Amino acid sequence: MNVSLGNDVLMVKGLHSFLLAASVNEAFPLCIESSDQEYCQGVRPGDLVVVSAPGSGPVEPALMLLELVRTYHLPLIVLPKNHPGSKRIPYVVSVGPEIQTNCSIVRGTHPEQHLVCSSDELAGLTLAGTTDGIAIDNLPAAISYEVIKTEKYC
Amino acid sequence: MCSVGGPTDIDLPEDRVAAKNYRCKECGERFKGIGKHPMCPSCQSEDVAEI
Repeated sequence: MNVSLGNDVLMVKGLHSFLLAASVNEAFPLCIESSDQEYCQGVRPGDLVVVSAPGSGPVEPALMLLELVRTYHLPLIVLPKNHPGSKRIPYVVSVGPEIQTNCSIVRGTHPEQHLVCSSDELAGLTLAGTTDGIAIDNLPAAISYEVIKTEKYC
Repeated sequence: MCSVGGPTDIDLPEDRVAAKNYRCKECGERFKGIGKHPMCPSCQSEDVAEI
Protein backbone atom coordinates (compact mmCIF):
# COMPACT_ATOMS: atom_id res chain seq x y z
CA MET A 1 0.00 0.00 0.00
CA ASN A 2 1.31 3.41 -0.94
CA VAL A 3 0.53 6.60 0.93
CA SER A 4 1.18 9.94 -0.75
CA LEU A 5 2.66 12.34 1.74
CA GLY A 6 4.58 15.22 0.29
CA ASN A 7 5.92 16.97 3.38
CA ASP A 8 3.26 15.49 5.67
CA VAL A 9 3.66 12.81 8.30
CA LEU A 10 2.24 9.31 8.36
CA MET A 11 0.92 8.11 11.70
CA VAL A 12 0.39 4.38 12.19
CA LYS A 13 -1.76 3.74 15.24
CA GLY A 14 -2.33 0.70 17.35
CA LEU A 15 -4.32 0.48 20.56
CA HIS A 16 -1.31 1.02 22.78
CA SER A 17 1.41 2.47 20.60
CA PHE A 18 2.08 4.45 17.47
CA LEU A 19 4.78 5.42 15.08
CA LEU A 20 5.34 8.41 12.83
CA ALA A 21 7.11 8.36 9.49
CA ALA A 22 8.00 11.09 7.03
CA SER A 23 10.18 11.59 3.99
CA VAL A 24 13.41 13.52 4.09
CA ASN A 25 13.44 16.50 1.74
CA GLU A 26 17.13 17.24 1.46
CA ALA A 27 20.43 15.45 1.86
CA PHE A 28 22.21 15.91 5.17
CA PRO A 29 24.64 14.14 7.46
CA LEU A 30 22.88 12.71 10.51
CA CYS A 31 25.31 12.40 13.38
CA ILE A 32 24.83 9.87 16.14
CA GLU A 33 26.75 10.70 19.28
CA SER A 34 27.70 8.01 21.76
CA SER A 35 29.71 8.57 24.91
CA ASP A 36 33.01 8.26 23.09
CA GLN A 37 32.33 8.19 19.36
CA GLU A 38 30.52 10.05 16.61
CA TYR A 39 28.99 8.18 13.70
CA CYS A 40 27.68 10.09 10.70
CA GLN A 41 25.08 8.71 8.34
CA GLY A 42 24.48 10.27 4.93
CA VAL A 43 20.74 10.79 4.54
CA ARG A 44 19.21 11.29 1.10
CA PRO A 45 15.94 12.83 -0.12
CA GLY A 46 13.26 10.15 0.00
CA ASP A 47 14.79 8.41 2.99
CA LEU A 48 12.48 8.03 5.95
CA VAL A 49 12.62 9.35 9.48
CA VAL A 50 10.63 7.07 11.76
CA VAL A 51 9.79 7.89 15.36
CA SER A 52 8.35 4.95 17.25
CA ALA A 53 6.52 5.15 20.56
CA PRO A 54 6.43 1.52 21.67
CA GLY A 55 4.73 2.43 24.95
CA SER A 56 2.51 5.13 23.48
CA GLY A 57 2.70 8.68 24.89
CA PRO A 58 1.69 12.03 23.42
CA VAL A 59 1.98 12.53 19.67
CA GLU A 60 3.14 16.14 19.65
CA PRO A 61 6.62 15.52 21.12
CA ALA A 62 7.10 12.71 18.63
CA LEU A 63 6.27 15.14 15.81
CA MET A 64 8.76 17.60 17.24
CA LEU A 65 11.41 14.92 17.49
CA LEU A 66 10.77 13.91 13.90
CA GLU A 67 11.19 17.49 12.70
CA LEU A 68 14.28 18.06 14.83
CA VAL A 69 15.88 15.32 12.77
CA ARG A 70 14.23 15.81 9.37
CA THR A 71 14.16 19.60 9.17
CA TYR A 72 16.79 20.80 11.61
CA HIS A 73 19.23 17.90 11.24
CA LEU A 74 19.99 17.75 14.92
CA PRO A 75 22.26 14.90 15.97
CA LEU A 76 20.94 12.03 18.00
CA ILE A 77 22.49 11.37 21.37
CA VAL A 78 22.88 7.84 22.62
CA LEU A 79 22.86 7.22 26.33
CA PRO A 80 25.14 4.52 27.69
CA LYS A 81 23.69 1.17 28.60
CA ASN A 82 21.80 1.24 31.91
CA HIS A 83 21.79 5.02 32.04
CA PRO A 84 19.23 6.15 34.65
CA GLY A 85 17.62 8.61 32.26
CA SER A 86 16.77 6.06 29.59
CA LYS A 87 13.42 5.18 31.13
CA ARG A 88 12.22 8.77 30.89
CA ILE A 89 12.47 9.03 27.12
CA PRO A 90 9.56 7.29 25.39
CA TYR A 91 10.55 7.52 21.72
CA VAL A 92 13.01 5.79 19.45
CA VAL A 93 14.24 7.01 16.07
CA SER A 94 15.37 5.28 12.93
CA VAL A 95 16.45 6.84 9.64
CA GLY A 96 17.01 5.17 6.29
CA PRO A 97 15.49 4.27 2.92
CA GLU A 98 13.61 1.27 4.33
CA ILE A 99 12.77 0.56 7.93
CA GLN A 100 11.24 -2.51 9.55
CA THR A 101 9.53 -2.59 12.91
CA ASN A 102 10.49 -5.31 15.31
CA CYS A 103 9.28 -6.10 18.81
CA SER A 104 11.68 -8.92 19.56
CA ILE A 105 14.74 -6.77 19.83
CA VAL A 106 15.77 -5.22 23.09
CA ARG A 107 15.08 -1.54 22.88
CA GLY A 108 18.21 0.36 22.14
CA THR A 109 20.59 -2.49 21.82
CA HIS A 110 20.94 -3.07 18.12
CA PRO A 111 22.84 -0.83 15.80
CA GLU A 112 21.31 -2.09 12.56
CA GLN A 113 19.91 0.92 10.76
CA HIS A 114 16.92 -0.73 9.11
CA LEU A 115 15.21 -1.79 12.34
CA VAL A 116 13.20 0.23 14.79
CA CYS A 117 11.80 -1.03 18.06
CA SER A 118 8.05 -1.24 18.22
CA SER A 119 5.29 -2.73 20.30
CA ASP A 120 3.95 -6.21 19.52
CA GLU A 121 0.95 -4.79 17.70
CA LEU A 122 3.06 -2.77 15.26
CA ALA A 123 5.78 -5.33 14.71
CA GLY A 124 6.51 -6.68 11.25
CA LEU A 125 5.77 -3.53 9.29
CA THR A 126 8.03 -2.49 6.47
CA LEU A 127 8.12 1.18 5.58
CA ALA A 128 9.92 2.29 2.44
CA GLY A 129 10.34 5.69 0.88
CA THR A 130 8.76 6.18 -2.56
CA THR A 131 8.84 9.06 -5.01
CA ASP A 132 5.89 10.77 -3.35
CA GLY A 133 5.48 9.16 0.01
CA ILE A 134 5.74 5.87 1.82
CA ALA A 135 5.01 2.26 0.92
CA ILE A 136 3.70 0.18 3.83
CA ASP A 137 3.87 -3.60 3.82
CA ASN A 138 2.38 -6.05 6.31
CA LEU A 139 -0.04 -3.61 7.90
CA PRO A 140 -2.34 -5.68 10.16
CA ALA A 141 -6.08 -5.20 9.66
CA ALA A 142 -6.51 -3.90 13.21
CA ILE A 143 -3.99 -1.16 12.72
CA SER A 144 -5.08 2.17 11.30
CA TYR A 145 -3.17 5.04 9.83
CA GLU A 146 -3.69 8.69 9.10
CA VAL A 147 -1.80 11.53 7.51
CA ILE A 148 -0.93 14.45 9.76
CA LYS A 149 -0.71 17.71 7.85
CA THR A 150 2.49 19.54 8.68
CA GLU A 151 0.80 22.94 8.54
CA LYS A 152 -1.04 21.94 11.71
CA TYR A 153 2.09 22.12 13.76
CA CYS A 154 4.76 23.90 11.74
CA MET B 1 19.40 2.98 13.93
CA CYS B 2 16.94 2.26 16.64
CA SER B 3 16.99 3.95 20.00
CA VAL B 4 19.10 6.89 19.19
CA GLY B 5 17.47 9.96 20.55
CA GLY B 6 15.04 7.73 22.34
CA PRO B 7 14.87 5.54 25.38
CA THR B 8 18.24 4.40 24.55
CA ASP B 9 19.86 2.24 27.15
CA ILE B 10 21.96 1.50 24.18
CA ASP B 11 25.13 -0.37 23.67
CA LEU B 12 27.11 0.73 20.65
CA PRO B 13 30.05 -1.62 20.50
CA GLU B 14 32.30 -0.63 17.65
CA ASP B 15 32.41 -4.17 16.30
CA ARG B 16 28.63 -4.10 15.78
CA VAL B 17 28.50 -0.71 14.12
CA ALA B 18 29.36 -1.00 10.46
CA ALA B 19 31.28 2.24 10.47
CA LYS B 20 34.16 3.12 8.20
CA ASN B 21 36.69 5.88 8.59
CA TYR B 22 36.50 8.63 6.01
CA ARG B 23 38.31 11.82 5.13
CA CYS B 24 36.51 14.67 3.40
CA LYS B 25 38.30 15.75 0.22
CA GLU B 26 36.75 19.21 0.48
CA CYS B 27 37.57 20.25 4.04
CA GLY B 28 39.81 17.51 5.39
CA GLU B 29 37.43 16.46 8.17
CA ARG B 30 37.93 12.90 9.39
CA PHE B 31 34.87 11.03 10.57
CA LYS B 32 33.27 7.65 11.07
CA GLY B 33 30.57 7.07 8.48
CA ILE B 34 27.74 4.57 8.40
CA GLY B 35 25.37 3.74 5.57
CA LYS B 36 25.77 3.70 1.82
CA HIS B 37 26.17 7.43 1.28
CA PRO B 38 28.81 8.87 3.58
CA MET B 39 28.64 12.62 3.92
CA CYS B 40 31.00 15.00 5.67
CA PRO B 41 29.46 16.23 8.94
CA SER B 42 31.33 19.53 8.69
CA CYS B 43 30.75 20.71 5.11
CA GLN B 44 28.08 18.25 3.87
CA SER B 45 30.26 17.20 0.95
CA GLU B 46 29.84 13.69 -0.42
CA ASP B 47 33.31 13.87 -1.92
CA VAL B 48 34.90 11.69 0.73
CA ALA B 49 37.47 8.93 0.69
CA GLU B 50 37.66 5.87 2.89
CA ILE B 51 40.86 5.75 4.90
